[in-house]
Amino acid sequence: MEETKKNPAAGQPVRRPVIDMRGIFKAFYIGTPNQLEILHGISLAVFEGEFVSVVGASGSGKSTLMNIIGVLDRPSAGEYYLDGVDISKIADKELSSIRNKKIGFVFQNFNLISRTNALKNVELPMLYGGMPKKQRDERAKQLLKMVEMEDRTNHLPNELSGGQKQRIAIARAMANDPSIILADEPTGALDSYTGRLVMDIFHKLNKEQGKTIVLITHNNELAEETDRILTMKDGNIISQKINPKRTMDDIYRMTGRDPAEMKKGGEGK
Amino acid sequence: MLGIIIGISSVITITTLGGIMEKSVTDTYDALGTTLVQIGLHTKPDADRDYFEFSDFLSSEMIEEFEKKFEGRVTSVSMSDNAGSGTVRVNRENLSIDVAGVSPGSINGSMTELVKGRYITDKDMDAFRQVCVISEKQAAKLYGDENPVGKIFTFTYNGLSYDFTVVGVYKSSMSKLMSAMVDMTGQDWDTTIYIPVTTAQLMMYYGDMTSVGYFYYFTFMGAPDESVPELAADAVEFFNTRYYRDNDAVEVMSYTAEQELSMFSNMIGIVSMIISIIAGISLLVGGIGVMNIMLVSVTERTREIGVRKALGATNGSIRMQFITESMIICLIGGVIGILLGLLLGNIVGIAIGITAPASVGAIVIAVTFSMAIGVFFGYYPANKAAKYDPIEALRYE
Repeated sequence: MEETKKNPAAGQPVRRPVIDMRGIFKAFYIGTPNQLEILHGISLAVFEGEFVSVVGASGSGKSTLMNIIGVLDRPSAGEYYLDGVDISKIADKELSSIRNKKIGFVFQNFNLISRTNALKNVELPMLYGGMPKKQRDERAKQLLKMVEMEDRTNHLPNELSGGQKQRIAIARAMANDPSIILADEPTGALDSYTGRLVMDIFHKLNKEQGKTIVLITHNNELAEETDRILTMKDGNIISQKINPKRTMDDIYRMTGRDPAEMKKGGEGK
Repeated sequence: MLGIIIGISSVITITTLGGIMEKSVTDTYDALGTTLVQIGLHTKPDADRDYFEFSDFLSSEMIEEFEKKFEGRVTSVSMSDNAGSGTVRVNRENLSIDVAGVSPGSINGSMTELVKGRYITDKDMDAFRQVCVISEKQAAKLYGDENPVGKIFTFTYNGLSYDFTVVGVYKSSMSKLMSAMVDMTGQDWDTTIYIPVTTAQLMMYYGDMTSVGYFYYFTFMGAPDESVPELAADAVEFFNTRYYRDNDAVEVMSYTAEQELSMFSNMIGIVSMIISIIAGISLLVGGIGVMNIMLVSVTERTREIGVRKALGATNGSIRMQFITESMIICLIGGVIGILLGLLLGNIVGIAIGITAPASVGAIVIAVTFSMAIGVFFGYYPANKAAKYDPIEALRYE
């Protein structure tokens, strides 16, 4: 890929992609003789700080790919390194910890816990991560402020609009400062205006905090704004379109061949 | 939850009532003194008759001999003989009374307390005096506010009319529960009049002086530092070797207040156990109900479980969440049950006039037990939730 290009920052260690998939297959068994193969050997590399969108018709395997990226599911065959960790070597029990620490999910239908308020929803991943109460509280408030929802901390999800819910969901996804944000049709349930607001938040997270974002969308217009568009069809990535606005510097920055000074502020590990 | 409430409340009610009963019984026996021993006749197991003959009876001489031999070890040796019932005519109405022949020592260890006048004395005994000690109730009925001491008490016994002089008035110190139970047996102790046992026997045997001074049984109390079972055994041995060795059908046996107390405790224990079993069954049913609630809740919240798993909840933390919820449901049921049980127990307690403090142990056990039910019956639904596949759960509508 791009890393074979001329290197202006020679001597720097080459950064591994955050998502590093090689020949991923996924098959489901429906009865003994039938095997339904959903993914046919997908290879994908997403670098830190990249904003990638995945488009494709329903049934093209987007969601299955998403589930594998988010370690909700395991591939039937192939290798998957997430942030340098070989997922096939991780026990089922520890996958939850990977999801907790390295991945932030944003869903189309928000999936907030309806019985608890905004603050508690944002705190939830930190709770599962074992963060002390005081710290949790502080960080949750900070995150809500980031998505401009600080005056809604005590509201229950059903007291909020769709756009507000999605902003809280984004704050929740950011709770443990994950390596990747996986957004599955985050604007699908929103009108175009609020969808725009949500999209702006993603851009902001990507630009200001250098978050890696993988976005599944049906909206080509929104996909065009991202660094890279992957089109899926019948379980394969059939095309990849690189945003023409992306400069060589962007690519060097992501692949780690840049002196990377500008990155330090965004990575808070 | 209803099952839990019923189960826990019945357990608490029962333990409270059990406490009340036990308190009442022990109070009664404390008043009696657990050092009370009764020596009575009984037929030997291999005897060829099952009745006593006059020659089998304990004579006053035997008892005096025993008193001498056991001097210092026993106190308040007393004889009594129930003459049976008689009637008193009050305002053209015949009231039934029980005529109890007693000796001076009988007041010790009985459940009566003298409130006026005196008790039966040795002189009354020796002279076959026609004197009696009547109850407060009788005194109030017959003489109203007047001082009953010195009044003539007329009653009919075995078809004959007797005039006795009232020398004292007693009050039953029986607990209300005890007297309620005695009431059920048809002998209200407050209808009893006490007369000298010699006089009573004379009345019973139609004036036959030779029949006076023979008893089926007599009672005594152990000295404070005596071991009651040992003393009772020694007393039995004394009589059986000395007087009943050659008697092929009859010997004496001892009955102690302690024995009766333990018998009573056993009875309470059995009743408690039966009700506890019923409570256990309702707790089981309640537990199954809670399990059902939890299964419904788990299914309803499938999606939430998926979300939690996506956010990094481990199977363990999901399981813990649902077990905790089930525990809380059971705990609420348990607390309501405890309150209801205490209320019920005390209502009954107040109704029979004795209240016992709530058993802290029972409450602690009830709380622990209801939580345990929560864990036990919550485990299956919680485990089911924990094992959900996150993808399936997230897709669940």
